[in-house]
Amino acid sequence: MVLSNNDGCIISRSDEAKKLGVAMAGPYFKAKPLIEKYGVATFSSNYNLYGDLSWRVMETLRMLLPPGTVEVYSVDECFIDLSHIKPDELQAFAVYLKETVEEWTGIKVSIGVAATKVLSKVANRLSKKHKEATQGVLVLDTPGRIQQALQKTPVEDVWGVGYQYAEKLRRLNINTAYDLSKQDIVWANKHLGGVTGSRLIRELKGIESIGMKEELVNKKMIATTRMFGSPVTELQDIREAIATYTSRAAEKLRRQYSAANIINVFIVPKEESHNTRFRHGPSIGSYVVLPQASSATNELIKPAVALVERLYESGKIYKKAGVMLSGIVPDTSIQGNLFTPPAENKSRLLMSMIDNVNFAMRDDVLKFAASGTSRDWKMRQELRSPRYTTRWDELFEIK
Amino acid sequence: MDGEQWYGAAYKGSKQFKQWDIPNANASGFGAAADDYMERGIDLNEQLIRNKPATFFFRMNSDSMIEAGIHSGDVLIVDRSIKAVNGKVIVAILNGELLVRRLQTHIKGVTLVAENKKYGNIQVDEFSNYAAWGVVVYSIHTV
Repeated sequence: MVLSNNDGCIISRSDEAKKLGVAMAGPYFKAKPLIEKYGVATFSSNYNLYGDLSWRVMETLRMLLPPGTVEVYSVDECFIDLSHIKPDELQAFAVYLKETVEEWTGIKVSIGVAATKVLSKVANRLSKKHKEATQGVLVLDTPGRIQQALQKTPVEDVWGVGYQYAEKLRRLNINTAYDLSKQDIVWANKHLGGVTGSRLIRELKGIESIGMKEELVNKKMIATTRMFGSPVTELQDIREAIATYTSRAAEKLRRQYSAANIINVFIVPKEESHNTRFRHGPSIGSYVVLPQASSATNELIKPAVALVERLYESGKIYKKAGVMLSGIVPDTSIQGNLFTPPAENKSRLLMSMIDNVNFAMRDDVLKFAASGTSRDWKMRQELRSPRYTTRWDELFEIK
Repeated sequence: MDGEQWYGAAYKGSKQFKQWDIPNANASGFGAAADDYMERGIDLNEQLIRNKPATFFFRMNSDSMIEAGIHSGDVLIVDRSIKAVNGKVIVAILNGELLVRRLQTHIKGVTLVAENKKYGNIQVDEFSNYAAWGVVVYSIHTV
């Protein structure tokens, strides 16, 4: 099983760990007795390795499919437009994709094929759940198969139905995806509210309503949020954390050639009791609008740190902080305007120098003093496996 | 390295090469003569990696394959998209351990052959948990 940022919670479990009763999203310390008793292999998140393997899987698919037909949805999920494949060849083609991905990358994937995105998610879930019967591939190509699949899908497992919506639907005696698919648009407008709900119903009925999206190139918001490795009480530490997260966010901003003019900063104090599902204590946040969009770390750190100084209350224990950059526009300073005085381009040149050094060294060799030097604000990853596929000095050793 | 598989035009290779990546001679005088013959420099990826998403690197940590020219400390380039057939040097998983050996397939099954007399050959029997992981295509050796 794998732990979250800072080794706090369990975020991924193998089938064996699930059978032992290791709880998903449960705190690590609670599962520790079980882990030690059965010797469950436990790892910190290794995002470098996962990112590389994810790229390999997606790249394999892109190589096997026409350009523009692969939509990467998340690190471990993608949608593929298979409209160029004949209906009676879908099963064989999906098996071919699955086998090639596994052969090339070693990653086992499951594939659900259907007329719409929502139905393909239904198919995918069932193919994963019944691995032996489906061999990881399920095609919903007949009304009978679709109906059977929908009946086997609890309503809370439909893509887009959240925990609270599911409770509401269950009160209306809608328990499965099939029950939901039998409702009409008028009902959807009344009970599910608006466009999203009626789109969902149409998708379940097999009418394509959520199109293939272009890959998200430029994000509209960039956030860096972290749980602290250990609780933080001092203002100086909070300042350093915010400066570090701002640097990280600014780096991401520059990577997509953007600048931002809204900085949102928040900190989360420790709560005495929080037993509601997936919820943290209330976060305390505020934002500032800059007169001019910027991508320079130093120009963003200053207002971000000033904000957090106002939010901070001494005596409280903080467990999490975050920085969000929005109001994102293309960074015009990159072009180096003929009419801008060279002084204004200096920070741009400085930033690209810092980025180049840090990228080449694969570590934050150059950083602003506001980020502090004593404390490492990066993730705690005590049980991380080596980054086998991205670092020369961590290659797998073989005999 | 042999190519048993064919990739469609969608395969970009390991190099996202564009024509303007060719360096310019930057000659201050009459540049054209120099510029006409500029081409891209040698890129090791081009030679060593045929299928990037399927290529993995390992570090050799034994002398078991020394007669095949693989020394301890060498970097092995392994391509999973090449079929492991008789005679290839492969990375094998045997009972949970990764090994580099030459693959010998025969009527009785599979033998993993070490290229060093100090090491014995491993006859894979039906009780062992064996799979071919990938095919070693290059070994990078420090001279």
